[in-house]
Amino acid sequence: MQSRLGLKPGTPPLVALRGVAKYFPGVIANEDVNLAIYPGEIHALLGENGAGKSTLMNILTGIYQADAGEIVVDGETMAFASPVEAIAAGIGMVHQHFKLVQAFTVAENVHLGWSQTPARISARDLEARTLKLSQDLGLAVTPGARVSDLSTGEQQRVEILRVLSRDARVLILDEPTAVLTPAEAQELFVALRAFTARGNAVIFISHKLDEVMEIANRVTILRGGRKVATEWTENCSEKGLAQMMVGREIVLNTLRGRPEGAGIGAPVLELRDVSLNAGDLSLLKNINLTLHAGEVLGIAGVAGNGQRELSHLLTGMSTPSEGAVLLEGQDVSRSGARAMAQAGVGHIPEDRLHAGMAPALPITDNAVLREYDRAPLAKGPWYLPRQAFHLAREIAKIAEVAVPDFAMPARNLSGGNQQRLVARREMRIADKVLIAAYPSRGLDVGAINTMMRYFVELRDSGVAVVLISEELEELMNLADRIAVMFHGEIMGILPAEGVDIDEIGLMMGGRRAA
Amino acid sequence: MSTWRLQRLPAASPLVSLSARLISVVLALVTAGIILAATGKNPLDLGAQVISSTFGSSFGMADLALLFTPLLYTGLAVAVGLRIGVWNIGAEGQFNLGAFAAAGVALFLPGPPALILPLMAVMGMAAGALWILIPTLARAYADVSELITTLLMNFVAALLVTYVATGPWLDPSGMALATTARLPVEVPAVWDIVHWGLPVGLILAVLLAVAFGFTRWGYEVRIGGSNPGNARYAGMPVRRHLITVMLVSGAIAGLGGMMEVAGTVHRLQGGISNNFGYIGIMVAVLARAAPLGVIFTALLMAVILNGGIILQPQGLTTQTVLAVTGLILFYAAIGDEFARYRLIRNAKPAGTR
Ligand SMILES: Nc1ncnc2c1ncn2[C@@H]1O[C@H](COP(=O)(O)OP(=O)(O)OP(=O)(O)O)[C@@H](O)[C@H]1O
Ligand SMILES: [Mg+2]
Repeated sequence: MQSRLGLKPGTPPLVALRGVAKYFPGVIANEDVNLAIYPGEIHALLGENGAGKSTLMNILTGIYQADAGEIVVDGETMAFASPVEAIAAGIGMVHQHFKLVQAFTVAENVHLGWSQTPARISARDLEARTLKLSQDLGLAVTPGARVSDLSTGEQQRVEILRVLSRDARVLILDEPTAVLTPAEAQELFVALRAFTARGNAVIFISHKLDEVMEIANRVTILRGGRKVATEWTENCSEKGLAQMMVGREIVLNTLRGRPEGAGIGAPVLELRDVSLNAGDLSLLKNINLTLHAGEVLGIAGVAGNGQRELSHLLTGMSTPSEGAVLLEGQDVSRSGARAMAQAGVGHIPEDRLHAGMAPALPITDNAVLREYDRAPLAKGPWYLPRQAFHLAREIAKIAEVAVPDFAMPARNLSGGNQQRLVARREMRIADKVLIAAYPSRGLDVGAINTMMRYFVELRDSGVAVVLISEELEELMNLADRIAVMFHGEIMGILPAEGVDIDEIGLMMGGRRAA
Repeated sequence: MSTWRLQRLPAASPLVSLSARLISVVLALVTAGIILAATGKNPLDLGAQVISSTFGSSFGMADLALLFTPLLYTGLAVAVGLRIGVWNIGAEGQFNLGAFAAAGVALFLPGPPALILPLMAVMGMAAGALWILIPTLARAYADVSELITTLLMNFVAALLVTYVATGPWLDPSGMALATTARLPVEVPAVWDIVHWGLPVGLILAVLLAVAFGFTRWGYEVRIGGSNPGNARYAGMPVRRHLITVMLVSGAIAGLGGMMEVAGTVHRLQGGISNNFGYIGIMVAVLARAAPLGVIFTALLMAVILNGGIILQPQGLTTQTVLAVTGLILFYAAIGDEFARYRLIRNAKPAGTR
């Protein structure tokens, strides 16, 4: 075992979990989990949504205390009361949802809550220290930049730098690539390999099996809070991994085929010469787009090329600076998001924590966001909490999310379960159009599959679906046409049937369709 | 061998939270008792004295009710703001302005009480709302934090009231040095010297609880207060709700001021707000911004303030009493944190750290 990782026989693990269990009211998050992490390895942690991956890592880093079992570091049993103690023992984590202080600079964030930060230090020196750390550890950051101005990939580098600068030997990453562009993900992998080459270890949580196959040495699979297996990645296939995760076989097939009678219909939603400006900045330029009933339109492109703005325009969250948005021929440019939702436009937003949900409020409040103002939840000006509870239970059921307590804040749900709830809530009201921005972010393979099937059902019943995604494979499987965005413009719209991936790649880089 | 350890829960159970609140009150009183004992007083005697003078006679009960009433209004005012994430530190000033406007109507507008009293209430509420208008617009349109703006308005209001009460509106009879004449109308009594301000305040608390819990508006305010981005995504009129809620908050504090001047004090004078606005912040926080909870926490604060008044002859200062209220808040904050932990028994030893 050790020799296969290039270690001397008998090398002890950097950290080991023995018989760890964690129970939440009504939920077994972890039970009897054993795990050993050796120097030099990248260890992937796989499992369905709610399988207990994040919880297990939160135990390892002292955010939660285990209800049973123990953590062994360098042969010594440890109980971490807080992440600060864990990092002192060399275990650090970058969370599914970042925890940086947005208003602070990179340098300030890196030095925040660190015993080695000098008590009095000028901003200049702080930035110099940060620059040095960043060079030593091979993670390029801009020390003086404010975190709120950084891209997601850059913020993640800051988080990693924060952990590594505290001399972590075990770096835990919770779904790090869910929010990265493929190029950013490759950069991350290079940094991770360099880190493990120095005799450290990485624990890597992901739902993307191809990534796991690419980067991990070993993989551990959790199901229902229990460990199913730990395997060498070489001995696994994506299919096998998926099967171990869900406990049954998953059939992935192309979804473009249609049943008799379900065809592409009349135009539903139209953008005519739409532009969007913020001050002098041009966010969207001259967009022309026609969506038809019963079709799936894919939007490809590197994140940050106007997809978010486009989804806001299509759902009434923003009004175009020029041009018009038409819903079934009516000008809805200034209708607003509520009117659009009432007219049957659903919206799975790209950022569930800031837009899609109110994480601090009960699950019920979050589940009924689209229907609190209609019967049976509303009667005149009244809101009926009992009816709301019934609806929330129904949505949780079809979303296949087990909720022990609907009064619990929504943030207590696992990341993927939050996404499932939001997606279901939106599909319910999407009678005409569904705008889905990165809907599979954070979902496990099984859940992605289920969601795609529901998209197909919506499509076949005559709903127009817009699927914004960075996964070309996902787009090619589902979409009828693919539009490619670059710098706020649509470079071209291609039929998905027989499309050339290289051509899409070129268009994503700014070349117009021939 | 088994060990005990603390486990952090995802959410505190309501019962545990409530007990933690009660325990924090008891602890604050015990702490105060220890300090009193250290200064050579017998805390048990003093406590007995407070209880017998407050609850032992109808005078005591009436005094308590008169302290409870303004705290009910200011507590509700602050609580309403908190529902949408606004800290109305300015209830003190809005209370003063409400008293000022109501007194102005009573002193200068002749008419039958049946007409004048409702007018005073309306003007009191309007004045309270007016006093929070600028902070409201600054917050709604320029995202200026209301913490400082509402606070600053308090000083202006206090100076204004003192100025008119000692200057232009000074009692012309020459009998009083720093107050207006006795108002010609008053809020009628319900029991003893307790006036209608109390039942009206209680009804208001119930109405607010219903509005927040059982209307679509209340749901939208909840979402907007918790995550404005989520409310915008759903197309809710976040800004409009923010403005309404803040104005309502000011109006409630203003109504409190009207009730105080027309029901309890009967004259406008400097310091009529008596820190009620600031104590209202504690009332609201202890009640976790729940309108029905405010009824209980306002009563608790009234008992403590009343105790301070009873003990004044024993050399207890207002500062001491305010310190006790501060202690309660302090312990309550600690209690809230502890309510999220549970003591559990481990089968295996917990480790060496
Ligand atoms: N603070 C909490 N309170 C109550 N239940 C919780 C809490 N945290 C997690 N859970 C529950 O524990 C289970 C495991 O959650 P966890 O977040 O570990 O899942 P996960 O494997 O990370 O899933 P995902 O892939 O969706 O992120 C879920 O059912 C979740 O609802
Ligand atoms: Mg997770």
